[in-house]
Amino acid sequence: MDRRSVLKGLAGASGLALTGGLSAPAIAQGASARTLRFVPQANLANFDPIWGTQYVVRNAAALVWDTLYGVDSSLQPQRQMVESEEVTDDGTTWTFKLRPGLKFHDGEPVLSKDVVASLSRWAARDPMGLMIKALQQELTTVDDRTFKWVLKQPFPKMLYALAKNNSPCAFIMPERIAQTDPFKQISDYVGSGPMKFAKGEWVPGAKAVFEKFADYSPRQEKSSWLAGGKQIMVDRVEWVIMPDPATAAAALQNGEIDWWENPIADLVPVLKKNKNISVDIGDPLGNIGSFRMNFLYPPFNDVRARRAVLMAMSQEDYMRAIVGDDNSLWKPLPGYFTPDTPLYTEAGGEILKGKRDLDAAKKLLAESGYSGQPVTCLVAQDQPITKAMGDVTADLLKRLGMNVDFVATDWGTVGSRRAQKTAPGQGGWNMFHTWHAGSDCINPAPYTAIRANGDKAWFGWPTSPNTEKEVAAWFEAKSLDEEKATIGRLNKAAFDDVVYAPTGFFLSYTAWRKNVTGIAKGPLPFFWGVSKSA
Amino acid sequence: MLSYILRRIVATLPVMAIVALFVFSLLYIAPGDPAVVIAGDQASPEDVERIRQSLGLDRPFLVQFGSWVWRILHGDLGTSIFTNLPVSTMIGQRLGPTLSLMIVTLLLTIVVAVPLGVVAAWKAGSLIDRAIMAFAVFGFSLPVFVVGYVLAYVFALELEWLPVQGYTPLTEGFWPWLQNLILPAIALGCVYIALVARITRATMLEVLQQDYIRTARAKGLGQGGILFIHALKNASVPIVTVIGIGIALLIGGAVVTESVFAIPGLGRLTIDAILRRDYPVIQGIVLLFSFVYVLVNLMIDVTYTLVDPRIRY
Repeated sequence: MDRRSVLKGLAGASGLALTGGLSAPAIAQGASARTLRFVPQANLANFDPIWGTQYVVRNAAALVWDTLYGVDSSLQPQRQMVESEEVTDDGTTWTFKLRPGLKFHDGEPVLSKDVVASLSRWAARDPMGLMIKALQQELTTVDDRTFKWVLKQPFPKMLYALAKNNSPCAFIMPERIAQTDPFKQISDYVGSGPMKFAKGEWVPGAKAVFEKFADYSPRQEKSSWLAGGKQIMVDRVEWVIMPDPATAAAALQNGEIDWWENPIADLVPVLKKNKNISVDIGDPLGNIGSFRMNFLYPPFNDVRARRAVLMAMSQEDYMRAIVGDDNSLWKPLPGYFTPDTPLYTEAGGEILKGKRDLDAAKKLLAESGYSGQPVTCLVAQDQPITKAMGDVTADLLKRLGMNVDFVATDWGTVGSRRAQKTAPGQGGWNMFHTWHAGSDCINPAPYTAIRANGDKAWFGWPTSPNTEKEVAAWFEAKSLDEEKATIGRLNKAAFDDVVYAPTGFFLSYTAWRKNVTGIAKGPLPFFWGVSKSA
Repeated sequence: MLSYILRRIVATLPVMAIVALFVFSLLYIAPGDPAVVIAGDQASPEDVERIRQSLGLDRPFLVQFGSWVWRILHGDLGTSIFTNLPVSTMIGQRLGPTLSLMIVTLLLTIVVAVPLGVVAAWKAGSLIDRAIMAFAVFGFSLPVFVVGYVLAYVFALELEWLPVQGYTPLTEGFWPWLQNLILPAIALGCVYIALVARITRATMLEVLQQDYIRTARAKGLGQGGILFIHALKNASVPIVTVIGIGIALLIGGAVVTESVFAIPGLGRLTIDAILRRDYPVIQGIVLLFSFVYVLVNLMIDVTYTLVDPRIRY
């Protein structure tokens, strides 16, 4: 009997019992309806959204720090802290004016000098920020509410860069905080967002508390993701860190917590049976599973070996290993971009469609010159998703006739070892598994994993000039049609060179008690508009 | 006695230094790089290197170790790489829950296990003895997390008597504090109770064979007096040793228990720090645990002299 089976069985039993009509738990009755207790996806271990780029930090930061623009549910940038913007006809000078009445949590007004300092710090760490910085002539204040960004060349995706939701977001901090070296961590968490961070109550690894900011002036528009009026309906939001999924499930059933960001697939049936709990897809943009092959060393330095793996792999195997038998949670992905978003395309993805051809794959692998050398496959066992994919890959490679050196380790080790460019036998690697948030794969701007500029590319260091050419073209594109045409070519080029292997698209659930209302689907948990009754 | 205690405390310093060097070396050679974790997926190797430099992780082993020792000697445990909080603050935040859990478990163990062991010895060979020993085997065999989940299911989800998770400080009231600790203490205490009950029974059986017990009986002393005054006191040295050594078990078990019941204690902090390679936090905790072990050993030795006047230092 393993630990997971035990927790599943017990949680299942408890779920059935509660469905049987037991009364609401007494423990829940004493809790204030003005406090929303939330179990996040991970521990909030640090709280500088520029220094550390984990999603959980971004999610917390979105409560405390506001952005100039915010991306809405149609993936369009909308004004947030900004009242208006002007761009010159040649596209090189952007002038922005802030909304009046914006205040930081310490009571100070938000001024353009704060924005300039914040954008400078962000631009030193963010890939899009770095692109703007490379074109920057000057970034200066005009007056207290106006600032100007002058570029040497136009950057058509400027507003998207300021609005995007992938880490690091362009959060605005007071100048004194934003002047911190971007490679050093801030320790003062004053923002102008809808909630204040209660630093004194922060116990990293256990609890983080946010209090409603009374002086926040929300926009008048309806809220939509990071855009619109961010109305906070509760006094406090408490993030309770729970490393054990069974405990989180029990606490949700018991009413000790109100909202669990990402229940594991094993426990979802139990939660669904509970009449006091709602379960639904949390983020419609989901996730893209992937494994990356190292372009620097044999066998995957030969495109035929990479294509052989793609010809043989079954995305269904990978997806079932991750989400189980729930067919609504996954779909095949013969493409690199997020399904159901404007730029999604399957151009060039035929290699992942149809019956899997192991014999042809073996033949192609032999043509690549593979002769039985060990293939070092890094698999983090402490992440259920990577573990599941790793097991499928090990089987796949063995069936292909490869000699698998399966390195079962933890995510911390994978994180550092995948950065090693040395040969697999000398501390390097041949392949590793990960996944990407769908919201990071909607276009090339936040999509680090699709870049194929060799040494400067993400781990695996793929080289694909045609892919890179289309990435550059997308940044220049001025209309959606132009963008779509570019992305079609990009997708095909990425498959031709096998920048990485997509293992499928999968969704996750979120779960909350029924006395909580207003939870919106999106790439991060949005707390505005969420209320709780007693 | 006082000079003995002082000598023992002074003698712990080299032990702690060796432990510190050992732990520091282990972490230094272990794979994993906190700078990579911090930098995130978007970072370039140059970014990672800058973070590594800003954290001092690029410096040679001896420089890092020396700097750490120097800070320790000045009462500074350093700053967490991830939270930017002083390690002493982080440990301070987590010490209360872990200490509370250990104290409640320890009390529960003494209150339950010692009488069970005494009764089992008194009724040796009877059904009661066999039942108690079967319970001990059962308690010893069950993993902490299994007991924890069963308790949470029965007493929190089914009966709704106690909370599933969390910790309330003692400052907020005795009952709120205790109600969060009952289930974890039982889960954590099962193995411990079983161990102490078995040792108590075995030691008591041996003592109950002694001549002076026979004499006491002959003098007409009551059963309770014989068992709990004469026999138990003389059986106490091994029991005290097992209880002391058991604190090591408690620390290990607390890691799992704190996860199962979401108690924000040192066990969870340790696991989090190890997974993230938060070196200063790991070093601080190991140093603290080493000190606790040394202190517990010292307390055991001192307790010997209290329960057995023949033992002198």
